[in-house]
Amino acid sequence: MNLLDLVIALPGIGFILALIIPRAQEKAIRLLTLVFSLATFVVSLGLVAGYQFGKAGQQFVSDTVWISSPEIHWHVGIDGLSLWLIVLSAFLTPIAIGISWRYIAHRTKEFYAFLLLLECGLVGVFAAWDLFLFYVFWEIVLVPMYFLIGIWGHDRRIYAAVKFFLYTFAGSVLMLAAIIYLYTLSGTFDYAAILDQLSAGRIILSHSQETLLFLAFFIAFAIKVPLFPLHTWLPDAHVEAPSAGSVMLASVMLKMGTYGLLRFCVPMFPNAARDNAGWINILAIIGIIYGALVAMVQPNLKKLVAYSSVSHLGFVVLGIFSFTQLGLDGAVYQMLNHGISTGALFVLVGFLYERRHSLAISDFGGVATVAPWLSTVFVITTLASIGLPMLNNFVGEFLVLQGAAQANFTWSIFAAIGVILSACYMLWMVQRVFFGSTHEDVAHHMPDFNAREWACMIPLVAMMVWMGVYTQSFLPHISETNARILDQSRMNVPLRVSLPGSTISHGGIGRAR
Amino acid sequence: MHANFFPGADDYLRFSPELILTIGGTLMMVLDPLFARKLPRMFGHLSILLLALGIIGACAAYTVPGYSFSNLLVVDGFGAFFRVMVLSIGILAVLSSYKYLDREAAETGEYHALLLFSIVGQCVMVTANDLIMIFIGLEISSIASYILTGYLRNDKRNNEAALKYFLLGSFATGFLLYGIAVIYGITATTKLDEIRAALNNPSTPLAMVGVAAALMIVGLGFKVSAAPFQMWAPDVYQGAPAPVSAFMATGPKAAAFAIFLRIFMTSFEQVAGGWEPLIWISALLSMTIGNFAAIRQDNLKRLLAYSSVAHAGYILVALASRSGDGTAAVMFYLAAYALMNIGAFAVIIHIAGKGERHLRIEDLAGLGQRQPLTAAMLTIFLLSFIGVPLTGGFFGKFYIFRAALESHLVWLTVLGLLNSAVAAYYYLKLLVVMYFDEPGEVANSLGSPGAGLQAALIIPAIGTFILGIVPGVVLNFARNSSAFGR
Amino acid sequence: MTQNLWIIPILPFLGFLVNGIFGRKLPKMIVSLVAVVSVLLSFGWVMKVYLTAGDLAANPVTEHYFTWIRSGAFNVGWDYTVDKLTMIMLMIVTGIGSLIHIYSVGYMEHEGGYYRFFAYLNLFMFFMLNLVLAANYLLLFLGWEGVGLCSYLLVGFYIVKHSATTAGNKAFIVNRIGDFGFSLAMFLIVVNFGTLDFGHVFAAAPGRPTGTLTAIALLLLLGATGKSAQIPLYVWLPDAMEGPTPVSALIHAATMVTAGVYMCTRSAVIFTHAPAAMETVAIIGLVTAAFAATIGLAQNDIKKVYAYSTISQLGYMFLGVGVGAFSAGIWHLMTHAFFKALLFLGAGSVIHACHGEQDMRHMGGLRKYAPITFYTLCCASLAIAGIPPFAGFWSKDAILAASYAHAPWMYWIGTITAGMTAFYVWRAMFMTFFGEYRGHGHPHESPVSMWGPLAVLAALSVVGGFLFNVPKILNSMFPIEEAAEVPWLVYVSVLAGVLGIGLAAYMYVVNLDLPERITKAIGGLYTLVYNKYFIDEVYDATVVHPLVEGSRSVLWRGVDQGFIDGIVNGVGQESKAVGGVLRLMQSGNIRSYATWVVLGSVALVIALGIAGGVSR
Repeated sequence: MNLLDLVIALPGIGFILALIIPRAQEKAIRLLTLVFSLATFVVSLGLVAGYQFGKAGQQFVSDTVWISSPEIHWHVGIDGLSLWLIVLSAFLTPIAIGISWRYIAHRTKEFYAFLLLLECGLVGVFAAWDLFLFYVFWEIVLVPMYFLIGIWGHDRRIYAAVKFFLYTFAGSVLMLAAIIYLYTLSGTFDYAAILDQLSAGRIILSHSQETLLFLAFFIAFAIKVPLFPLHTWLPDAHVEAPSAGSVMLASVMLKMGTYGLLRFCVPMFPNAARDNAGWINILAIIGIIYGALVAMVQPNLKKLVAYSSVSHLGFVVLGIFSFTQLGLDGAVYQMLNHGISTGALFVLVGFLYERRHSLAISDFGGVATVAPWLSTVFVITTLASIGLPMLNNFVGEFLVLQGAAQANFTWSIFAAIGVILSACYMLWMVQRVFFGSTHEDVAHHMPDFNAREWACMIPLVAMMVWMGVYTQSFLPHISETNARILDQSRMNVPLRVSLPGSTISHGGIGRAR
Repeated sequence: MHANFFPGADDYLRFSPELILTIGGTLMMVLDPLFARKLPRMFGHLSILLLALGIIGACAAYTVPGYSFSNLLVVDGFGAFFRVMVLSIGILAVLSSYKYLDREAAETGEYHALLLFSIVGQCVMVTANDLIMIFIGLEISSIASYILTGYLRNDKRNNEAALKYFLLGSFATGFLLYGIAVIYGITATTKLDEIRAALNNPSTPLAMVGVAAALMIVGLGFKVSAAPFQMWAPDVYQGAPAPVSAFMATGPKAAAFAIFLRIFMTSFEQVAGGWEPLIWISALLSMTIGNFAAIRQDNLKRLLAYSSVAHAGYILVALASRSGDGTAAVMFYLAAYALMNIGAFAVIIHIAGKGERHLRIEDLAGLGQRQPLTAAMLTIFLLSFIGVPLTGGFFGKFYIFRAALESHLVWLTVLGLLNSAVAAYYYLKLLVVMYFDEPGEVANSLGSPGAGLQAALIIPAIGTFILGIVPGVVLNFARNSSAFGR
Repeated sequence: MTQNLWIIPILPFLGFLVNGIFGRKLPKMIVSLVAVVSVLLSFGWVMKVYLTAGDLAANPVTEHYFTWIRSGAFNVGWDYTVDKLTMIMLMIVTGIGSLIHIYSVGYMEHEGGYYRFFAYLNLFMFFMLNLVLAANYLLLFLGWEGVGLCSYLLVGFYIVKHSATTAGNKAFIVNRIGDFGFSLAMFLIVVNFGTLDFGHVFAAAPGRPTGTLTAIALLLLLGATGKSAQIPLYVWLPDAMEGPTPVSALIHAATMVTAGVYMCTRSAVIFTHAPAAMETVAIIGLVTAAFAATIGLAQNDIKKVYAYSTISQLGYMFLGVGVGAFSAGIWHLMTHAFFKALLFLGAGSVIHACHGEQDMRHMGGLRKYAPITFYTLCCASLAIAGIPPFAGFWSKDAILAASYAHAPWMYWIGTITAGMTAFYVWRAMFMTFFGEYRGHGHPHESPVSMWGPLAVLAALSVVGGFLFNVPKILNSMFPIEEAAEVPWLVYVSVLAGVLGIGLAAYMYVVNLDLPERITKAIGGLYTLVYNKYFIDEVYDATVVHPLVEGSRSVLWRGVDQGFIDGIVNGVGQESKAVGGVLRLMQSGNIRSYATWVVLGSVALVIALGIAGGVSR
């Protein structure tokens, strides 16, 4: 039972306790979940403290046999890639609880219980080092989110919930097939072991085999990301979910997909990954521009942010499939950035909804004059999400685009258009919501932040600035791991790919071909 | 091997479950007129007791594994496993019957006796080593269940279902009998192992063997409600009293799969090339027809009927893989399926109300708010149906498709998994109604399930979790006993 | 010894934090004190650096604070560097900045959001100083985007005014298009040089293929056209006049808009090795200068006039850069900062005097109501008209001379533009200060906090030119190539200026109905010019509208909801339909079931046959 097990277990325990407490004790339940989520966060910081640089493979390993035949292990561990994603999940859950404090009126017990279960699953996904365990957590995450959307969502919540579940489930069964198939080849579910066998050439995948396996994983992840054109579940899910749900969905769940791409698709099937990088990146770029353009014309705040997520996640995919150090680093950093800034956006949109009981942009206007602080924080957040320097997203987007440019300059040209468009839709939205003359039913329902809301927002804003200015607190862990993933992805690439070191003047598939 | 004509102590021990249940069942018939009025529930308790004894007997029998009654009967791990399974199913069926029977004011010894007899038949089936024995066991089990189907005499639906079941059932049994006859004609024996040996013998002509296999597949396919012989299932499940449907969807099905496995993995294993495609096709048909037909169902019992067709399909996938792992997967899946299915039916019994009025999906509306516990149980079963991790259903599917992939049935696996995604849709529909809709009059008028039904809900739920979190216990036993006496 | 350059930008940043966080509670007194003092202090620190740093040409000061981004071998630090060029910029920014801060105290006194205004102004100073201090492109880009942000915030300062916020958005988005070019340039630089540090890049640049350098230079130029309002991206600057006048003076005249010129000069090494790019810069500069000047001729809003003149003057600077006279460009940048800031502040003072009126047709005769404003503005107008010895004369002459050496036709166009400039600036002067007052209320002179800075700037516009001879100062960086001295050039360009003023005087003082008749005479042309050649309308029709409508009807409703979701939901419907069919098979009739069983078994046997029967 090491620190990492604790991080996974705490929310689980909290979940069970929350179920046990009688539903009348709403205060107790809320408090309990909050305490547990905060405790989880504190413990997760221990992971950061205990992280050792230059240590190959995963850390905080705990490995015990779960099922003897087929041999399935409770094998969890972290590296620079999972570390921050776990911290992110643990960081956002208390905030998600905080913003639901007043908003969730009925069936509080289940709500908070599900939030903790969700956190447990998410941390598990990022920590699992056993393909099977990974799949288990992957599916577990579905259930609480399904209920969060379906029970506490808005009008079309049922359609959204079912769509969400089926989309992801359809993708993941393919992944299950691929996982089992890998097992039949390698005789183990252990990620590291499979990787060794692959790179040692003990498993030789035929070209078609590798491609099919790659696609099976890829589709599952691409749906989760979501990559154009598999994204249509996202706007519905986001719009219908309660703000806590949207926050967790956007900030962490989407990262499950990109994490999977980076953790499994790239290192395990490097040839297939590089062969398919071309059209994948084109899809990613389409997603970037398409998402931005569609976001621009959304009449609904949450939909706008949702489509902006499609655009942002496009950058992440582009970075991953640029196969350059900068691209990968940028992609991972962008995952975190998006988690912070888009999460913050959903929190704020939630605040607006609680006040005005509407998500239609046209129902707002002139908010800035009545709620200056809310507006200020909102504007800062939008600036972060349109990638203004000194705020977090800039670093990620820059690295991704730079990496893409090294791989294939054309990609960076088109992707960079997304940066222009992001300014268009965000600023236009800000203008319509916050500026202009104040309609009186806006004026009457727009108190400024209260203490609880401040408590939710300050950490987020602080992180935006910190991650934008002093990236050295975060990037080194990521770079280190990505360097390894990159090597792994070159490991069993035949000689048709030259093997550049991770120097930035060359490398990447642009030159490799 | 030698045949001993004078049964010894071991033989009786090996046969003990059947003996216990038969005697007990007959006893009940006798006691029925005396106690039916005074303490109607006694029969239920009694049969649970008997079934428990039966389980003990089955375990005791497994302490002396081997052949009995001149090789008509074989007690091996496989048989023991299925014996325990059908007996436990029996217990759960009885538990779920209490509420139903006294709601319909139909507590009689007859009902329980028939249940016991049917189980006797299944016990015979799963341990039989001889086609004739198998046939006898099948008939005992079937006839009993025909009658149970029509148990509520003055309920039209019951009678219609019973008639259908009986006619079609005997029709299908005919196919099985033909198959047996043909085999006997070719090999001059009805003992499974001897048939195997004979088929191995180069001098035996194989021309007709395929036909025999096909005929048997028809007969057994009917019993396990596999496509294209699934037609009867929805009507019968819908018509029969809910507890009976619960029982029929699990017990007889499990037993039928047991003999399916035993016959085809023992006798016909050598000629598998011939019959495997048939299983392949039937598996695919069952999964697809079952799931797609279920999508449009709004009657709960029909929906579960179709889902049982689909699940039969999954199991056939494992059968098609023709491996020890495949057999083990079947055994595991049947166990998991029995649990979740009885659990689900228990919920239906609970909400159905007198005369089974409320059987539409909408009748579940708001159950999540009115009876959170019941709803939670049903949720567990549904998630297990879908195959979400940490439930037995997930590992069941997992083992099946793993076995299939190991036998290189890649496409069958992919199609099967996609099917399970389709299935998710209609199970989710139930979850939606139960949690997301506002309580309807049914949910509001619901009373407490009562102890028996409670037990029939909670035990399967716990079982589902055990199979989902530590599947090893069951699976390892299944693997060890998946090799048949050859 | 370390110069602690970080103090220069950090002071205004602290001012921003104080005013931004507590400003709402603080009295105006404190707010303005914090804002002004913070900028004055950083001006002081600049001076301290200037005096103690020694010879900046020989050894520029460079300081590294911490690593900003490191990934693989790529490494960008938070580094500041000061050489002579930076020093000039620092002085202009902090010096003019301080003056305008002081001026704003008076100007904004009666405005709402007082603290907000000064917070933004301080933030702008912070970013602008970052821009000029940066020792690598990424940090420069940080300042670049940052000043863009502040311009957005200040242009849209009157948040209830729709036109203002729209102008703010336009400014930011158009700038983003420029930044698009800038970032692509950075990507190319990293791909080819592996770093963004000025030192390394400029050291390595001469060896690189011209094609690469040209591409980089042109992309940088795209960035510059955005920030410095050159064709084709100048459209945001006129609208930016929605902001408070001090903002127009500080950001949209003196400092931010010149960032493009600074950046090109900073990248001189790259440009000089990309002749094609240089030519492009020169032409864009020249065309913008002339084009904007023509529009300036017909504007009636005093701030619009100065806005177009700003665009035109920036054009001159680019012309200078383009023809290789970088130092001349910077020189004009400086003098322009003096007299254009003065023009705007003066305009502000005029507007203040006329109770917010901006249309010159409702002004006039202010000479006697606001004498100080008048005299100071005279200095500025003479300076911009290029009348010796005023500041503008020297720098503009240097540029024109250089352009003549480069290509005579450029000189001629430049000179004609100079004539037009003189005309429209003095047209403004005459319309505002001469004749009778045509406005409402009683015009009045502005308070000392406003005319104080005017006086200082006036002095600078008079003597600033020959006092700070930038080409000499920067000689070490950009050696003045001795072009063949052509004596008559000076007289021609000065003559152009004089003619312009004379014509303006004739049309707007002596012969007042002449303008009417001229506009009548050239009606079509006039409306075209008066409406700025309808460029905004064209952009709207060709870019903005298609983009928005296309996204709405085609992408969102069409692709997303129509096509993709159509398929997704379609699959659902289809499977339901299949279910329906299967249900039909379920007749409930026993005979049909039996038939199915038979058919099924037959099918099985056939399948068996196809499968090839059984074999061992």
